Amino acid sequence: MIQKKICLLGAFSVGKTSLIKRFVESIFSDKYLTTIGVKINKKKLSIADQDINLMIWDLEGEDDYTEINTNYLRGSAGYILVADGTRAKTLDSALSIHKMVQDLLGDIPAVLAINKADIEDQWLISPASINDIDKNLTVIKTSAKSGDNVEELFTTLSQNMVGTK
Amino acid sequence: MSATTLEKLYSELDFAVLSVCKNELMTCLTEPPSWFKHFYPSINKNHQLNQEELPGFLQHFMFDAENHWQRKQPGQLKSGLWVEEAPDGTEWLMEATAVLVEDDRLLLINLTDKDHGTHQKKQQLMRENLLTKEKLELEVHRRTQQIREREEEIAIRLISAAVQRDEETGAHIRRIGLYSAEMAKELGWPMSHVDDIKLAAPMHDIGKIGIPDKILQKPGRLTEDEFAIMKDHSRIGGEMLAGSGISLLNTASIIANYHHEKWDGSGYPDGLKGKEIPEAARIVAIVDVYDALVHERVYKKAFSESKALAIMDEMAQDHLDPDLFAVFLSIIDRIREIKDRNQDEEI
Ligand SMILES: Nc1nc2c(ncn2[C@@H]2O[C@H](COP(=O)(O)OP(=O)(O)O)[C@@H](O)[C@H]2O)c(=O)[nH]1
Ligand SMILES: [Mg+2]
Repeated sequence: MIQKKICLLGAFSVGKTSLIKRFVESIFSDKYLTTIGVKINKKKLSIADQDINLMIWDLEGEDDYTEINTNYLRGSAGYILVADGTRAKTLDSALSIHKMVQDLLGDIPAVLAINKADIEDQWLISPASINDIDKNLTVIKTSAKSGDNVEELFTTLSQNMVGTK
Repeated sequence: MSATTLEKLYSELDFAVLSVCKNELMTCLTEPPSWFKHFYPSINKNHQLNQEELPGFLQHFMFDAENHWQRKQPGQLKSGLWVEEAPDGTEWLMEATAVLVEDDRLLLINLTDKDHGTHQKKQQLMRENLLTKEKLELEVHRRTQQIREREEEIAIRLISAAVQRDEETGAHIRRIGLYSAEMAKELGWPMSHVDDIKLAAPMHDIGKIGIPDKILQKPGRLTEDEFAIMKDHSRIGGEMLAGSGISLLNTASIIANYHHEKWDGSGYPDGLKGKEIPEAARIVAIVDVYDALVHERVYKKAFSESKALAIMDEMAQDHLDPDLFAVFLSIIDRIREIKDRNQDEEI
């Protein structure tokens, strides 16, 4: 069984922890409990007859006072950037983190999740700005709350990592 | 310090202390703290652990720790906080520290649960505050926009009411502002000034309030004396709007005062020449002429755009600023769009 490390990156309160909880434990909570430090979650996946053991790193989100500890990124096979559709600034954060990681680790597989699709009517990230995102970066609208596209998010990244896509 | 004192200290601090050998085995140097047994139930002093038995986060940290030990530098390297779930399902917040003590490579693991609560609460509060701040900023922006739009609407309606005895319509007044703002944008004016001229330009004829009906609404040609009185509207407007200390009204005052000056110095009230005439007034002179030409007036039919531009081209010799007219021509598509989109909204 191959083991792959992936990281979830993005501003605070965009739903990184919730996406992981939905994917790993199939649960969701509306209560906001900020993540302190790092938590590693594990989940087995089967991609094209290959079993992979995903080590999912949930990193404390970025805010005005906290930066990502880049040591934590070492050894990642891929990463998921997360933005919150209802907060336009979080897309800028996700894209600048993307650039920072590319400079650090080179071109490894990445997927951008625009989360909170269950309240898309309250989104402030416009279709135009989504359209402006570099076409090399796959964008997936997710909802940790409803579970929409969460499975797809992780499998898309995993497929990119094992090279079946 | 004797070994037992050290051990007591470690246990007081609730540390698990591992000594790391080159062959990747680690030895537990102290009697491990009770919480450590949630992870390794059968562990005790001098027990040996394999690196693979460590939590994933620590295995990852060992790489950094190794670097730290090899550099033989004094001081400690901290792993940062991480959350580990024990086999029994409980979650623990901890941190590891790598230190070198007389060539002994030590890994200290401590629980930060004691201040975890307060640290967590502090972070939580701070982030909730940040979220609220974000929401407020957005709301302020939205409201400011709303107020600005309301102000514009009120201003346009007041100005139209003021010049109602004249033939000018609300749509004309609105267009003058939009054309002028488009010109200012093209000229690279700062956004706040662009916003100012958008509202200031429509006020250029406000001084007509002070002109008697019999002159303002006289159907035929004005006599020389009547024209002298009529000309006074620019000075009256300029004075009405002057002295407020509000940048929008200052611009409006300048425009009202000077919008009948001509490039060759033959205009009024002061006979200013060329660039002596404030740029805002030169802009309004151009767009006012354009709008009058392409629309119907009691004394004339509407001209086609090409006819209007040909006439203005002539005027650019003596009346209008030729450089600004060139700018006007370069954005004629946008000007036309404003014209087409702002018809029939007569108030
Ligand atoms: N409506 C909605 N809320 C979500 C969704 N995902 C997360 N949240 C909420 O957003 C807040 C922050 O989520 P969290 O996972 O802690 O964000 P993190 O800081 O990025 O890990 C919590 O209150 C969640 O309940 C979603 O898909 N839809
Ligand atoms: Mg989190």
